[in-house]
Amino acid sequence: MSESYSTVNPCNMCMPMGTVLAFKGIEGCMPLFHGSQGCATYMRLYLAHHFREPVDIGSSALSEKGTVYGGAANLKKGIKNLIAGYRPKAIGIATTCLAETIGDDIVQIIREFRIEEPLASRLPIIPVSTPSYSGSHEEGYARALLALVEALAKKGEPNNKVNLVIGSVLSPADVRYLKDMLNDWGCSDEFILFPDISETLDAPLVEEMPTIPEGGTPLRDVADTANSRETLTIGGRFQKDFAGAFLEETYGVKSSLLPLPIGLEHTDLFVSRMEELTGRRLPGKYEAERGRLLDTLADVHNYLDGVRVAVFGDSDIVVELTRLLTEVGAVPAVVATGYSSPGFKAEIRANSADPIILCGADFTDIHDQVCKGRVDLLLGTSNGKQISQKEKIPLVRVGLPNHDRVGANRQLILGYEGAGRLLDALTNALLEERSRK
Amino acid sequence: MSVIKTFEGREGHIARKAGSDPLSLSCSNESLAGAVSQRACVYSGARVVLNPLTDALHLVHGPIGCASYTWDIRGSSTSGPTLYKSSFSTDMKELDVIYGGEKKLATAIKELALKYRPPAIFVYSTCIVGIIGDDIRSVCGQAAAEIGIPVIPVKSEGFKGNKNEGYKAACNALFELIGRRDYEPRSPYTINLLGEYNVAGDLWAIKPLLEEIGLEVIATFTGDGRVEEIERANHACLNLVQCSGSMTYLAKKMEEKFGIPYRRISFFGLGDVSNALRLAAEHFGEPSLMDRAEEIIERETARVMPRIACHRARVQGKKAAIYMGGAAKAVSLVKGFEELGMEVVIIGTQTGDSEDYRKISCIVKDGTVIVDDANPLELRELLHKQKADILVAGVKERFLAYKLGIAFCDFNHDRTTSFEGYDGMVNFAREIDVSLNSPVWKLPKLRASTLGAGASCNQRKLIAMRECRGVAINV
Repeated sequence: MSESYSTVNPCNMCMPMGTVLAFKGIEGCMPLFHGSQGCATYMRLYLAHHFREPVDIGSSALSEKGTVYGGAANLKKGIKNLIAGYRPKAIGIATTCLAETIGDDIVQIIREFRIEEPLASRLPIIPVSTPSYSGSHEEGYARALLALVEALAKKGEPNNKVNLVIGSVLSPADVRYLKDMLNDWGCSDEFILFPDISETLDAPLVEEMPTIPEGGTPLRDVADTANSRETLTIGGRFQKDFAGAFLEETYGVKSSLLPLPIGLEHTDLFVSRMEELTGRRLPGKYEAERGRLLDTLADVHNYLDGVRVAVFGDSDIVVELTRLLTEVGAVPAVVATGYSSPGFKAEIRANSADPIILCGADFTDIHDQVCKGRVDLLLGTSNGKQISQKEKIPLVRVGLPNHDRVGANRQLILGYEGAGRLLDALTNALLEERSRK
Repeated sequence: MSVIKTFEGREGHIARKAGSDPLSLSCSNESLAGAVSQRACVYSGARVVLNPLTDALHLVHGPIGCASYTWDIRGSSTSGPTLYKSSFSTDMKELDVIYGGEKKLATAIKELALKYRPPAIFVYSTCIVGIIGDDIRSVCGQAAAEIGIPVIPVKSEGFKGNKNEGYKAACNALFELIGRRDYEPRSPYTINLLGEYNVAGDLWAIKPLLEEIGLEVIATFTGDGRVEEIERANHACLNLVQCSGSMTYLAKKMEEKFGIPYRRISFFGLGDVSNALRLAAEHFGEPSLMDRAEEIIERETARVMPRIACHRARVQGKKAAIYMGGAAKAVSLVKGFEELGMEVVIIGTQTGDSEDYRKISCIVKDGTVIVDDANPLELRELLHKQKADILVAGVKERFLAYKLGIAFCDFNHDRTTSFEGYDGMVNFAREIDVSLNSPVWKLPKLRASTLGAGASCNQRKLIAMRECRGVAINV
């Protein structure tokens, strides 16, 4: 962003992180990093903090020897042990900067492994190249989704279904909301929702804890994405490569993209598209939800009107949060993402008056602009807490990470309901702050 | 026979204490691939040791991830500077990997020094730096000469070993600072605290007691630390080493170069903290110090005892499992649990060595399982098999325990409650009590069905399970 040779307090994570959030959305899938042990452990810690769930990630635990002579032996051993310990239905392997730089050919290593271990010959093992020195976790997520369909999608009989691809990292509650919506619409069977972290990263406490959390998109559904009539991807709009485009090019499955259904207008857009796809009207329950959102907008508009907000986090979520703010009359004063994507600025400019836009930003950039922009409220990840503390501006936490409050796994921001809850949270944060003064 | 079924090659890392036979436990530097070890990397070891140095600038030379995941994750508190709470990275990109990152690093150091004016900069190398071969030492040397502050390379390439190697890299980096500054101590009785990280303000429960005895703490490595204190640490007469895994190496180097003897202590648990105060006072052979130490020990013990006794009554007899990063804390915890009348049934560490495990096997009771470099599957199996009531470990293990319906206490570096000193033991006893005796564990996990004969097969199965466990149901 600025002409700087260093990043201070990053607003993004590395690519391998994103792959975990995609692989965890596949039934029985275990992620594994080809790299040093620390990568897996750090990201487990990061995600455990956020979701308040145990998050197991394998590692090839590359040591000095493996680094010098190649990591094939370690990677094979890692896959073998992961199979022995977890009995996964699939394994997703992401590379790290270390594996990429020493030049390990993981596709070849997996091929050899299948020959050497006949028992694993049918187990889906999905490689994805994610050098940590390029892109960010957002790109890693998109790449893993692409790798999944590349590896698993298989031409068969047309199924007349629609692939609903979640193109951005959302919360388990958001995914659950979409699933419920499909159910209420009576069209669960007509859609393949992919990936599905609603159960895997927000698992119930049960009598016997399964080794791999239950839930996730079944592998046969991912395979069947090649036979759907259409792919609708929500979010992930700033990604170059994505699963929908691949399915279109390879299997002729028509692909379209929609913004995340956050706020009134974009939920409307999503609903209209769904009505087209299903040929059925939005269930009454959601019409009522929409009405309640309108009511909420009316209830809070005078509190939020003119309130200057700094929004930061993942690109797609930030774009939609900005739009929600304009819907209620608040002012997106600073809009920032750590991800360097060319489309981001244009998208923001198209919808908001004249915010300060930061692309590829770190929290020092954001902090500077928050001070200049006379900001009343912060809306974004918990990484904004230092700015919040220092400048005494309330922070409403949305997105990954949320390390210092509970409930990230149950936070709903999608749909009419999610928008209403967000507006409540923003208004209450403001009122709480005022009551203290 | 192995204690539990586990991965091939891991059997020797788990053993049960039986009789007085010396226990031999495998412990190695390399974690087993695919076993989901709880260990991190060399960088992580270096970062946790150095990071509590509050006024230093910690610059990570590598791709963004390493800095993202270690931004302000330590619970180390500060009484002043907050620079250590920021995460600095050279954010290496593809081109830096291809053409080398030295130039970017050199410019970043100068830019950051100008903007933040730190008294010293630590430059951590990550995996990628070890592969592309950036000469960090020479970049740091040149930068230091230009900007006039110490710029110290930390050799912490992630893949070059485990956390222990990182501790060593951090100690080497700290050693470069020591002896750079003259100092006239205020007291003839001077000490340094090594391996005290001021997590949740631990240090502030300890330092006043040491000062009350009449000792001057010159430097704390590295909790609430300042670069200037480290630079004059050579003026101390004694080093007290708490986290021995991370700091014994530095203590030995200081003994060799500056002739400062070191003693291992722990500030956790009433017994250990009292011993630590006693030992510190005794070192100087001055009766007045020793008398004061005894007075303090008596006063403080009497002060907190009633509160601890209250919790003890509610937790004694319960079974505890310990899984720690280092062995020193694990050993101290065994004694702490003894003070609460609890039994330790599992004890494990990420990075203990054979000497550590020998020591551990001497202090635990028969039947206790000792485990090196455990993973979630083993922990789960062991917690079940040993019928543990509570697990004491870190965040990664917290949610595993909860999912198994087991109480938990966080004794890691991101905890928010102070556990050291006399009041720390009260806090610890309270946390153990709160989680063990929480009403949430008494809530039935399975709902009694109100359906009778019409119940589905699955529902009947659940009801049967409840009956097996002797829970009254309402059918």
